[in-house]
Amino acid sequence: MSTRISTAATHAAAIAQIMKQQSALSKTQSQVASGKRFETPADDPIAAARVLDLERNQAQLKQFGKNSDLLASRLNIGEQSLASIGDVLTRVRELVVRANNGTMDATSRASIASEIRSRAQELLDIANRRDASGEYLFSGYSTATQPFARNVAGVGYTGDEGVRLVQIGPNQKIADGFPGSQLFMDIPEGNGTFVTQEGVHTGTGSIDPGQVTNSQAWVRDSYTIAFTAADTYEVRDSANNVVAGPATYTDGGSIAFNGISVTVSGAPAVGDTFTVAPAGTRSMFSTIDDIAAALMGPDTPSANATFGTRMAAALQQLDQAANVATNLRGEIGARLSAIDNAASARDQLTDELSASVSQLRDIDYAEAISRMNQQLTGLQAAQAAYARISQLSLFDYL
Amino acid sequence: MADMLNVAVSGLKAFQRALDTTSHNIANATTPGYSRQRVGIVTQEPQSLGSMNLGRGVKVSSVDRYFDSLLTAQMRLASSSYSRLETYADKAGSLNNLFSDNATGLSASLQTFSNALQGVANTPNSTSARQVLLSEAQGLVQRMQTYDQRLDQIDDEINVRLSGEANAISIAAANIAKLNEQIVRQQATTGQPPNDLMDQRDLQISELAKHVSVNVVAQGDGALNVFIGNGQTLVVGSEAGRITTVADQYLPARLSLAYESPGGAKTDLTGVLSGGSVGGLLDFRREMLDPARNELGQIAVGITAAVNQQHRAGMDLSGVMGGDLFRVGGVGVQASTNNDASSTATVGVTRTGAGALTSSDYILSYANNAWSLRRADTGAVVPMTGDGSASTPFSAEGLSIVVGGTPAEGDSFLVQPTSGAIDGLGVTISDPAKIAAAAPIRTRVATTNLGSGAISAGQVTNAADGALTDPVQIAFIDATHYSLNGSGSYTYTPGEPIEQNGWSVTITGAPQAGDTFTVEANAGGVGDNRNALELAAVLGKGVLSGGTESLNAASSRFVGRIGVAANQANVSRDSQQIIYEDTVAANDEVSGVNLDEEAANMVRYQQAYQAAAQVIRITQEIFDSLIRATGR
Repeated sequence: MSTRISTAATHAAAIAQIMKQQSALSKTQSQVASGKRFETPADDPIAAARVLDLERNQAQLKQFGKNSDLLASRLNIGEQSLASIGDVLTRVRELVVRANNGTMDATSRASIASEIRSRAQELLDIANRRDASGEYLFSGYSTATQPFARNVAGVGYTGDEGVRLVQIGPNQKIADGFPGSQLFMDIPEGNGTFVTQEGVHTGTGSIDPGQVTNSQAWVRDSYTIAFTAADTYEVRDSANNVVAGPATYTDGGSIAFNGISVTVSGAPAVGDTFTVAPAGTRSMFSTIDDIAAALMGPDTPSANATFGTRMAAALQQLDQAANVATNLRGEIGARLSAIDNAASARDQLTDELSASVSQLRDIDYAEAISRMNQQLTGLQAAQAAYARISQLSLFDYL
Repeated sequence: MADMLNVAVSGLKAFQRALDTTSHNIANATTPGYSRQRVGIVTQEPQSLGSMNLGRGVKVSSVDRYFDSLLTAQMRLASSSYSRLETYADKAGSLNNLFSDNATGLSASLQTFSNALQGVANTPNSTSARQVLLSEAQGLVQRMQTYDQRLDQIDDEINVRLSGEANAISIAAANIAKLNEQIVRQQATTGQPPNDLMDQRDLQISELAKHVSVNVVAQGDGALNVFIGNGQTLVVGSEAGRITTVADQYLPARLSLAYESPGGAKTDLTGVLSGGSVGGLLDFRREMLDPARNELGQIAVGITAAVNQQHRAGMDLSGVMGGDLFRVGGVGVQASTNNDASSTATVGVTRTGAGALTSSDYILSYANNAWSLRRADTGAVVPMTGDGSASTPFSAEGLSIVVGGTPAEGDSFLVQPTSGAIDGLGVTISDPAKIAAAAPIRTRVATTNLGSGAISAGQVTNAADGALTDPVQIAFIDATHYSLNGSGSYTYTPGEPIEQNGWSVTITGAPQAGDTFTVEANAGGVGDNRNALELAAVLGKGVLSGGTESLNAASSRFVGRIGVAANQANVSRDSQQIIYEDTVAANDEVSGVNLDEEAANMVRYQQAYQAAAQVIRITQEIFDSLIRATGR
């Protein structure tokens, strides 16, 4: 403490003290008014930079939320299409079962064929569906190109295999649909391993789609089941080596070789053949077109046997197609649930981010108000003290 | 008795002087720079009476001021520092406020741009989403340009302030010189210090110290010589120097302070001046403003380079490869005005990559028949490779430098890699269809494939490859070997990238002999969003500082760094303010007027005066009694 102090300095110091108190009070007041602990980065640079990062993350999450909504609506549109496809396939299957009961005459079959053809058109319409903004749903990346069109060889696919991803999390992208090729074109043929067909056909024999009994023993090749006599058959591979037989044919008995078994029934003629070929893929359109064509066949015993073979194969093929549609519906369900999971994770993270931002930036009102009261008291005291001290002068006593 | 009267009168005169001085002190109680004065009262030489000495009263020897030159020097030093920090903090505050709005700030603009890219990724074929992206890209550009223009304005404000400072320093110098002259003359004639003139001179020097740090050397004749900065003479006796502004040798629009000799020759004082508001302005410009502009430019260069590179790897709505989305200003090269007139040297500088680029400026100089590069801020030498020719240019820190013409010894050039970048920043695309949201290639699995092989969607590794979109068939000869377009036999490893024609794909699973995969042009792929997704990810990827810092991180670090600097400036200013106020108080303790003290002095001197007056009355009474006694 100094021994002497000048009168001007006394006043200046008192005023400076009051100004300091006022400025602190004004700062507290603006904090209380804005609810923020700091106004500019300089007030708390570390917290301010952190808040910038947190707010950017919040904005990003918000965008991911928007993306998720869009993705969910697209997946729901896809789901509806898959449901319609399922309906078409179920109806066609019913018609095939009805047509295949053996009592149908040519006229009835023709009328069923006509309904099936209209179902085929319905399927084509679904395959060429567009979304609200006019983009084709099932054309891969080429969303402005009509993906499916009927030509002389059947229905062809002119889209691509692109899958568009939508980002719903910092590291999570989910496809918003399926390329038409996957849904309509690449349906596994037959039972997925092999496909049976008539070869030379003069008798009334027919063959079922068969099944795999031992997938380890299956050798991928094209086989011919040839009837060397009405009651004897042998099985040859593509190199014309005999792999089974000659054996005695029983109507409805199974013919087994290389881990598979097929059933031939009816009365094949000598020289008749059936083929067992490795399965490829087949489009839904081709399957249904094939059914319609088979239904238009003649009503003779031999042709009916052929019809039976084709219907059996068709049923199998429809099941494969329904399978694909069901699997993809399951896939959509899985994606939607992934979106839900991401949404709840995002909500939680958003809450945490908001809490962090609030912790960094928001004031503690209780603390701020009590601080403001303290500062008010301090300012009043400083003012009162100055008022008293400034009146003190020795001159008053002279 | 005549002696008694004389003694009393000497007292009367002395106390009158003392009362005068007290009254002068009271009158100047609030005068800035005033130092309280006192009368030096000493006894008169005594009268020798042989056996004893008899006192002859009192006399005023001098009127002095209470003044401590050491305390005053300390106060000036503290005042220079405080003034520097106050100016610095004030400017830092305006820079800080510029970047303080989170809602519309740089970080938010980047995020909005990124969200617009996500919007295009969501609906790549939508013109409105593409239009939004173009608007947001434009918004980002405008945001950065607003910042850049505001930085330029602050730069201009500093130029204006410096002109004012030069004027203020020159005026103070002239005043000090004039006061020096008066003080020397008065002191020589009266032999007594002209207190009030000296106070005025000290006040002028203290004023000067607020503008620039000063050094004062007292002369025997009472004059004070004043030096500023690192020893630049400003006032010698009654001669005052002039401070004026001079254009920077590289940047003509930028002002520095210079000493102007009476002949008009100017000496640049940049690097010589320190402290005071001049020091604050110069330090702020060097330490905060220039780096801020450069770093902002660096971010702009980074955004442009990263976004353009990814955009060029994509395909637009009409199936054409993407071009540049942004354009950015080039590297600034400024020749020094000191370069020799015979020099025909030309310097061309381009950027080679955003990753290696720094936010520093450089000086490229020619000496001893060789070019050398050093940092403008630290002066550190930066090694260059190459020989500066067009075929093998100098290369250093993300720059490629080509020199031509015939340089003269001592030529120098200022190279500014990023500071002009934002000036030329813009969006090059106006047609929404030109946004390259799609990837240029796609892959296909043949429907006849028997194996379980699957192929990835493919990535572009070199968008400039001419054969990028040529169809390539990857055909498996057997389960472990494949051919490309029917030729060669390559070993297949599941998951290993297959690279060809500037793309890269991976095949996984177990393909069988005869299986084929096709990589082809993404013709008609208007619904493809792969490149838009990549673009949206660009801002989060390491682009700057050798690929370690993302643009998002750089932008928040940039704002944080300015906040930290402004915060430090405030803290330093506040603590220096306390130091300054302490020195003012210490000075005041010695020189300031205390009215109570003066009141007491007044009472003291008044009483002494009254006592002396009484002595005169007593003398008169004694004389009267003597007259009466002898008169009877």
